[in-house]
Amino acid sequence: MRRTAWAWLALSSLLPASARAATRPHYGGTLAVELSTAFTTLESADFPAGLAQPIAETMLRLNSRGEVEPWLAVAWQADADRRRWRFTLRTKVAFHDGEPLTGPSAAPLLLVALKKTYPDVTITAGGQALVIRSDRAMPDLLSDLANARTAIIRRSESNPSIGTGPFRVTGWEPGRKLMLTAFDDYWGGRPFLDAVAINMASTRANGDVFDVPFSATRRILAERTRLWSSPVEELVALVGTGVQPAALKAIALAIDREPLVNALTQRRGEAAFGLLPEWLSGYAFLFRTAPDAGRARQAAALLRLGTLTLSYAVSDSFARAVAERISLNARDAGINLQPTPNANGNLRLVRWRVESANVAVELQRLAGLLGVSETPALDAANPTALYEAERALLETQRVIPLVYLPVIYGMSPRVHGSDAGFALRLESLWVDP
Amino acid sequence: MSFRVKVFLSITASVVIAVWLVAWIVSTLVTRSFERQDTQRTQTLVTQFHREFERRGVEVARRIEAVANSDAVQQIAVNLNSPRFDTSRYFDQAQALAREQSLDFLEIVGPDGRIISSAEWPARFGYQESWLTPAVDWKGQGVFLKRIELADGSALGLITVRSVKAGDGALYVAGGQRLDQEFLTTLPIPDGMHVRLNTDFEGSTSPLIQEVRRQPRELARTSADATLTAIPLLGRDHQLLAILLVENSRAELASLRSYIQATAWAVGGGGVLLGLLLSLWTASRVTRPLRQLTASVRQVAGGQWDTRASIESNDEVGQLARDFNQMTEQLAEQRDRMIQAERVAAWRELARRLAHELKNPLFPLQITVENMQRARQTSPEQFDEVFRESTTTLLSELGNLKAIIGRFSDFAKMPAPELEPIDLNQIVREVVQLFDAQMHADGRPPIEANLLLNAHLPPVPADPEQIRRALSNLILNALDAMPQGGTLSISTDSLDRKVSLEVSDSGEGLTEEECERLFTPYYTTKQHGTGLGLAIVQSVVSDHKGTIAVHSQPGKGTTFRIELTT
Repeated sequence: MRRTAWAWLALSSLLPASARAATRPHYGGTLAVELSTAFTTLESADFPAGLAQPIAETMLRLNSRGEVEPWLAVAWQADADRRRWRFTLRTKVAFHDGEPLTGPSAAPLLLVALKKTYPDVTITAGGQALVIRSDRAMPDLLSDLANARTAIIRRSESNPSIGTGPFRVTGWEPGRKLMLTAFDDYWGGRPFLDAVAINMASTRANGDVFDVPFSATRRILAERTRLWSSPVEELVALVGTGVQPAALKAIALAIDREPLVNALTQRRGEAAFGLLPEWLSGYAFLFRTAPDAGRARQAAALLRLGTLTLSYAVSDSFARAVAERISLNARDAGINLQPTPNANGNLRLVRWRVESANVAVELQRLAGLLGVSETPALDAANPTALYEAERALLETQRVIPLVYLPVIYGMSPRVHGSDAGFALRLESLWVDP
Repeated sequence: MSFRVKVFLSITASVVIAVWLVAWIVSTLVTRSFERQDTQRTQTLVTQFHREFERRGVEVARRIEAVANSDAVQQIAVNLNSPRFDTSRYFDQAQALAREQSLDFLEIVGPDGRIISSAEWPARFGYQESWLTPAVDWKGQGVFLKRIELADGSALGLITVRSVKAGDGALYVAGGQRLDQEFLTTLPIPDGMHVRLNTDFEGSTSPLIQEVRRQPRELARTSADATLTAIPLLGRDHQLLAILLVENSRAELASLRSYIQATAWAVGGGGVLLGLLLSLWTASRVTRPLRQLTASVRQVAGGQWDTRASIESNDEVGQLARDFNQMTEQLAEQRDRMIQAERVAAWRELARRLAHELKNPLFPLQITVENMQRARQTSPEQFDEVFRESTTTLLSELGNLKAIIGRFSDFAKMPAPELEPIDLNQIVREVVQLFDAQMHADGRPPIEANLLLNAHLPPVPADPEQIRRALSNLILNALDAMPQGGTLSISTDSLDRKVSLEVSDSGEGLTEEECERLFTPYYTTKQHGTGLGLAIVQSVVSDHKGTIAVHSQPGKGTTFRIELTT
């Protein structure tokens, strides 16, 4: 993780000066969150990007440098072959219904989450101890336990989501509204806010916190609204399905990423030449290329391509703008690439989100996305191997990285306490009376 | 063709022609009226289209002017020459401004012709907009039609351009509203009229559109279903950008025509039916008396002289019936008179014949008796001699009288024929053979018999004795006609279900009058004939249901022809 640590240092520069100069925090108040998107479950993985799920918590978590740090688990040990891990749970942690967090209460919830990744995993528990075993090595288990997908959460008849987080659910209308109330017995101390009201599918951009499209970021700045931005964590890429590799290569040569970054992301994003962002891999600059419309034109002329289609999600206006721009680039090279919403095009515009700080894990996920079934086991400590693995994925000529995107939230001047990190944590926010 | 059919055809033809003529005139007038109305409606719609076009143009110009004067555009214009000016910041500015002003198209273009922001194709920022050049007085250009390129094709727009001063250069604001089918929905379109805006006519195979493409001008084509008018819509450089198609349905006209046609058919059909009824009525009124009259004529011709036509009207037909009845009465009276005259003539002829025939033997009887008286008074010694001679003479002459009376008696007693199949040729040969000696008698010029008999003559049902007698009379008649000798020709032949027998002589022949009276009983041209020979022949032939005819010319002989049914 040290090779990416320097990137996290840069994240602190994203913090608005106003946040650092915030006044003294105080308790009370309700935070109104207006989201243009909607979610229908309270699973951590379904929660809006860039917004930390405040109901359930994970055993471990990533700090602002991308390093794993203790959270519900305060200590851990692994055997030499990493097939047996022993964790010690934090004491004085309680679920929202008052049940204390112990090894036996956490084990079945954790087992369900881990089974998705490690089918043969077993967990034995006693007191505050948890022992996780598997027949095969689990070198990435710590990253997995920091992933929101392994958050410890359970349900009851009266409450759809019972966790140990700083807020508990007091109202839930799937796809419409979520009401959260501060959990007084939170082990980390009661949050500043009394409550949080999250309105989904909202068209208003005047809440205390709201998601902001890239195209609006400069106008919002002009209105003196503060922005919170995550590191670039989402890859926008073209994935070819049934397109000959040479055609994809010609299209890749034709694409000029600079307008995508400058205009479509309003300089908030980063041009993507590799699959993983620079802050994560540390070698992304090695994949950098320059657009060459001339070579693209020559290649297209040799291929004698017919009309190709580029599909994108119809509800995604940013994807549409990217698709249309790429279509223009392709046209300059003599390639007829027709943007098509929600269709099985020859090329698909996909969004892929980084879920962990483990390069090896993320490369495996990318391989799955691209349909590359046989990928060798990667050593996260071997940057050369990781680089070679990513290059191999790029050379499959199935994908053209375009741009990395951050998640941006706008915050009204009354909101304070936002901190740099992968996600905006509601428990750290406080509002002016 | 019967009179009834003629009347029927005349009435039907009159009605049908009259109805067709009326239907054609009405249909033609209606069609012309509709076409006039179509033209007026089309022109009205085109006028409204141009008016709406102008109204929208004014509105578009006003909105583009508002965009050009907006703070956002003015800010871009002010910052344009700043070295820190970042055009990417404004790439979606046009979308917001277009939304504010309800514009479908809006582009903000820099002095270098590069698009800073495009509402209709946001991704096109940074690309060159080649048609926007500083050399044009854009305000003076007003509003014009232009084909606007879009990400998914193109669209027709009502466009205007305004330039905004930006330092030494100018910022261009170009935009407008879409001109499409929805634009046409604002027009008050009457029922039966359809308006289409054809902007994609490159691949059109319509002859009308092809013609408008070749030479952009308003054209109209009429088909059975509709009248289609094509109005070219030209761009700023007079290039054809769209074709406004106004379709006037002719369904109403077709319906009316169909109604007229149906009415004409109904009236025509009624006319035909009326013609039929009228012809039947007329025929019953006109042809029935004529047919009755015709039947009466046939009855009269068949010998029913007491037939009378019924007189049912006072018109020409009634008058004809009256004349017919009068004529028939006159003919019957004349016939009766003729019969009476013929009877009288026949009796007179009979009396004359009888007197003549009886007078010849009576005169010798008288002379002989007077000789006997004279011899008794003057020469008693010779009386016995005279008596013996005289009685011989008396007996001879009395025999003659008896023979004469017998012939008359035979004619009166002609029996009914007893029919049996006979060989006519055989009878001819037998009869001719009986006269052979007479034809070659000494002291008389020879007569040659020439027989031309058909060997395939079928048997004839006849009484052989009566046929022999008739043939004998004809041969005897022919021999008497050739006192100077000649040729007797007899021929037989087979006809259709008949046989013929011809007996010809080469004698002096007969006059036409003689031919007419030849078969009259007791009429003869011979000095010592009884006039019964040919009458007997005619009687025999008549009794056999046959016919006899005579053909003769003076100097060329006479031919008798008998035809008998087989």
